Amino acid sequence: MEKTEPGRRNWKQPDRVQGSAPGVRPIERKEKQIMSIPVTTIWAAILAAVLPLAAFGMILIGCRRRSSTSATLSIGAMSMSLACAVYLLATHGSAGVPLAFAKKWMVSGNLHITVGFLLDPLSLLMMVIVTAICFLVQMYSLAYMAGDPGFGRYYAFMSLFAWAMISLTLAPNLLQLYVFWELVGLSSYLLIGFWFEKFSASRAGKKAFIMTRVGDVAFLLGLLLLLAHHGNLDILNLNDPETTAHMRPMVITLSSLLIFGGIIGKSAQFPLFTWLPDAMEGPTPVSALLHSATMVAAGVYLFARLFPFLGHSPFAMTVFLFIGTLSMLMASCMAMVSRDIKQVWAYSTISQLGFMIMGLGAGGYFGGVFHLTAHAGFKALLFLCAGVLIHAFHTNDMFEISRQNGRRMRITMTCMVVAGAALAGIWPFSGFYSKEVILGRLAALDNPIWLLAGLAGAFLTAYYTFRLVFIILFPRPEPHVARDAHGGHRESWIMTVPLMVLAAVTLVLGHLERPLAALIAGGDSVSKVNGNPAWLPPLAMGLCAAGVLLAWIEFGRKGARQSGFVEQWPVLTRLFAERWYLDRFYAWLVDRVVDRGASAWCAQNDIRRIDGAAHALADSAVNTGRVLATWHRGLVQPKLMVMLAVFFYLTITLLF
Amino acid sequence: MTLLLARFPFLSALLVCCIGGLLLVLLLPAGKTREIKWVSAATSGLTLFISLYLFLAFDRNIGGLQFVEKRPWVPSLGISYFNGVDGFSVPMILLTGVVFFTGVLTMWDLEKRVKEFFAMIILLVIGVFGMFMALDLFFIFVWYDVSLLPMYLLIAIWGTTRKEYGAMKLMLYLLAGSALILPGIIYLVVNSGMGTFDLPALMVHAAFTPFQQKLAFLLFYIGFGILAGIWPLHTWSPVGHVAAPTAVSMIHAGVLMKIGAFGILRLGIFLCPAGWQYWAPLMAVLAVIGIVYGALAGLRQTDLKFVIGYSSVSHMGVVGLGLSTLTAEGLNGAVFQMFAHGVMTALFFSSVGYMYDRTHTRMIPELGGMAHVFPRASAYFILAAMAGIGVPCLASFWAELPVFIAAFRVYPILACIAVSGLVISALFFLRVIRNTCFGPANERFAQLADMSPAAQIPRMLLAATIVMFGLFPFLMYDTIQAATMTVINRLP
Repeated sequence: MEKTEPGRRNWKQPDRVQGSAPGVRPIERKEKQIMSIPVTTIWAAILAAVLPLAAFGMILIGCRRRSSTSATLSIGAMSMSLACAVYLLATHGSAGVPLAFAKKWMVSGNLHITVGFLLDPLSLLMMVIVTAICFLVQMYSLAYMAGDPGFGRYYAFMSLFAWAMISLTLAPNLLQLYVFWELVGLSSYLLIGFWFEKFSASRAGKKAFIMTRVGDVAFLLGLLLLLAHHGNLDILNLNDPETTAHMRPMVITLSSLLIFGGIIGKSAQFPLFTWLPDAMEGPTPVSALLHSATMVAAGVYLFARLFPFLGHSPFAMTVFLFIGTLSMLMASCMAMVSRDIKQVWAYSTISQLGFMIMGLGAGGYFGGVFHLTAHAGFKALLFLCAGVLIHAFHTNDMFEISRQNGRRMRITMTCMVVAGAALAGIWPFSGFYSKEVILGRLAALDNPIWLLAGLAGAFLTAYYTFRLVFIILFPRPEPHVARDAHGGHRESWIMTVPLMVLAAVTLVLGHLERPLAALIAGGDSVSKVNGNPAWLPPLAMGLCAAGVLLAWIEFGRKGARQSGFVEQWPVLTRLFAERWYLDRFYAWLVDRVVDRGASAWCAQNDIRRIDGAAHALADSAVNTGRVLATWHRGLVQPKLMVMLAVFFYLTITLLF
Repeated sequence: MTLLLARFPFLSALLVCCIGGLLLVLLLPAGKTREIKWVSAATSGLTLFISLYLFLAFDRNIGGLQFVEKRPWVPSLGISYFNGVDGFSVPMILLTGVVFFTGVLTMWDLEKRVKEFFAMIILLVIGVFGMFMALDLFFIFVWYDVSLLPMYLLIAIWGTTRKEYGAMKLMLYLLAGSALILPGIIYLVVNSGMGTFDLPALMVHAAFTPFQQKLAFLLFYIGFGILAGIWPLHTWSPVGHVAAPTAVSMIHAGVLMKIGAFGILRLGIFLCPAGWQYWAPLMAVLAVIGIVYGALAGLRQTDLKFVIGYSSVSHMGVVGLGLSTLTAEGLNGAVFQMFAHGVMTALFFSSVGYMYDRTHTRMIPELGGMAHVFPRASAYFILAAMAGIGVPCLASFWAELPVFIAAFRVYPILACIAVSGLVISALFFLRVIRNTCFGPANERFAQLADMSPAAQIPRMLLAATIVMFGLFPFLMYDTIQAATMTVINRLP
């Protein structure tokens, strides 16, 4: 029996496949480099990923009913993962060479699938973000989910997510990344539909799964294309300029676009963004963790991960830039008319992810990653604040929260203003710095339209953020309605401590721009960060201030109309509230084209044509038998008749 | 091919064990249902144990045929009792062991004609085991028919929903298949000029002309393909699933459909490589149509078993696509998919059977909120559906992915269509989950009890198999891999 030689790591070209692609070389990873990874590093990386999986398994099998045990297991595993992540960042963050570790997992023919990890500044930073926010959100959930009958299940799914997300972050090849990409999709499905008795929740979960699946199919096709033409999916190998030099530009462009399809799905970009607003049906901590800070950012992370490779195709980069811009503007428009606090943050997540993709698409690697980091902090904070309000007032409607005096929750509101200011891009919060880097990148492009779009987005973001903040902070006096007498709600410290931690991060992170730039982009690009034209920061700040001012005039000041400028045009309001009619379009597509079109045709075809043919065959057999049977009825007269006829015939032919 | 003779005839022991169980069941008086069930469970448990031993003891590094037993049977005709397993049949035997054992346990609450039922099931499984281990063309055909005939009675007596129609349709289709296989076998044996039914000997020494290979392959492909549910010869399968009782559905979809694919592999691909190569594009086209068509047709169904029946058509399409790629990766993936799909559908039917036995309905609109009533049964159901969607870390994913990778290199456009079918299959399964398990609690079923720990044993075993091979696919691939190159190297 033939054995495949162990030296080859991924897929090598089989000899007999038709239309084989030229230029496939098995990659030669330096064995020394693998050997030089310290054992503690390997264990830390493995433990960080596997501990949450162990917690998931133990909770699901052992103690789904015992809530405190399950929470302890999950949070314990998570804190260990966080410790490992911080340890890894501290020990390897400054190392110049990425550390890759891969072990063979499955061999089938010439297909060698490996698992392992890749430690470089990007993955380490992302890992710390993921584990830290997972940890904070799990702490916060102790109070938020208390008393829920599915408490144990909740922590099991959270652990499943943590495992998948950490492993995704660490993936050294695209196939492993794809595996965990799908698994975070699964945990997202399970967590959105966590309250499965609600029809809307289970529908939202299904929708999220299907729509991201559409993107994932494109992603998978991109991987298949790369495999067929390049022969392996190693991330470092793909990012190597030598690799791309050997590939046909057409293949690079096509596979880049297909992989971007996966990013569109996961990061909720146009035209697949409609699942994200619906995903808010899940518990709010889930929204904070999955649907703003980490999982949806996986798309942007993948972009950053493959940045050198994707950057090889100017056409593809323009498409990315375009999609990012379009998503950012469309989502900002939708956020201006929503009354639902979580929906507004969901739209703003889409728009900020679009902004990151704009930054990356414009060639600003550091800008995209920096904004990803900053956004993870302040958007998680915004959602957790919204969670406190929703938990206290049992409504998502911002006007209702305002009416019930939401502003009395002082810590929460302070944190929300801090995070809102960061989202709007106001100095000195983290969002200001990261947006500045991206805008600088856009300004460096030849076509000024991208910068204009970015500035417009900044204005709209400031406007819709402070619209929400002002609505809650300055309730319209309603003399006819008695004020709720029960005064301020007690804010549980379990919920407020994570808020304060994140608020502190939001305050500090912006000033860490230089060390972060040195970490992520290496020393040479630090100088580029400061290369923004001098007129840009004041202009951006001015536009943000204008946005805040407009929100103040419409919602904040005494005697404000409490209605936005968009609402003067009912057509636009309706267009935005209907999410640009994309939902309607998809509903039509699924109902008419898939359900009543193709599916009905197939089902009918089975009954009418295929079964019809089989039945016709069976019937014809029966009928033939029936006809033949008439010859065998054993009746004497017909047989005599035939005998006579034959007799006459023979007599006549013989005689004459 | 290397042949390793076994010291202890484990393969015959497997058959003897089943036959002994069958005789015991037949000897016991019909009234002693408890004893009959225990005997069946012990028989199936023993076969599971032996098949697990075979799986573990099979030497992956040597490959070839192992545990070989050969005795002359009818020497004048060149027929011998010839058993042996290679990397393809060992997973299938393990699959049969798992599905048989869990199937028997699933039917623990059966009350109608218990003795006859279990006797039939054991008889059926004898045929299945025999088919997977036989290396003599005559015996392959005999075992094949032994495994088919009990299906008719099992469906017609213990079935539901148009059971006579379903049983008759299934029987006619499958007999039509065997009417093609037998000429194919005779044609090859006669033309070999060797006067033997010995499959390895025919493989190695017979020189069939390309025309003979093409003709014989087509006969085997259509004949066994009917059982494997290839489009457009699949319509017997959903109807049969719906009509069959739970354990029969499990064995039917889990194991019997695999016999079809295995037959194509063992007879068609092993004996007629040139025919395989010639017909591969046709196989690919039919397989891809099956993948997409099965998922689409399933979307409209309201009966849970119809839904699963159509999903089987779609999943067996992946097997066909893998076989049609003519590559080692595709072949391995196809065999792995046979195993993964078998376990997955068994779990599916097992959990649906549990719900059906309690609620007495399989109509999706009448169900809903099952996750409140049967949290455990729903959990197994959802796990099976997730495996069906192809979620990573469940067995099916590692089957589908290599098949798609291999197919994309050979038939890029067809592979794109097949991969797009993933969206439809996701829509298909998620809709079923949502409409069956989720939603507000259903008042009608509020007082029904969830699975007892005993009822969980078979489901847990199936679920554990899915997860284990999903997390550690190499456990299975190393075994399958041991047989692949024998086949690939024979391609002209």
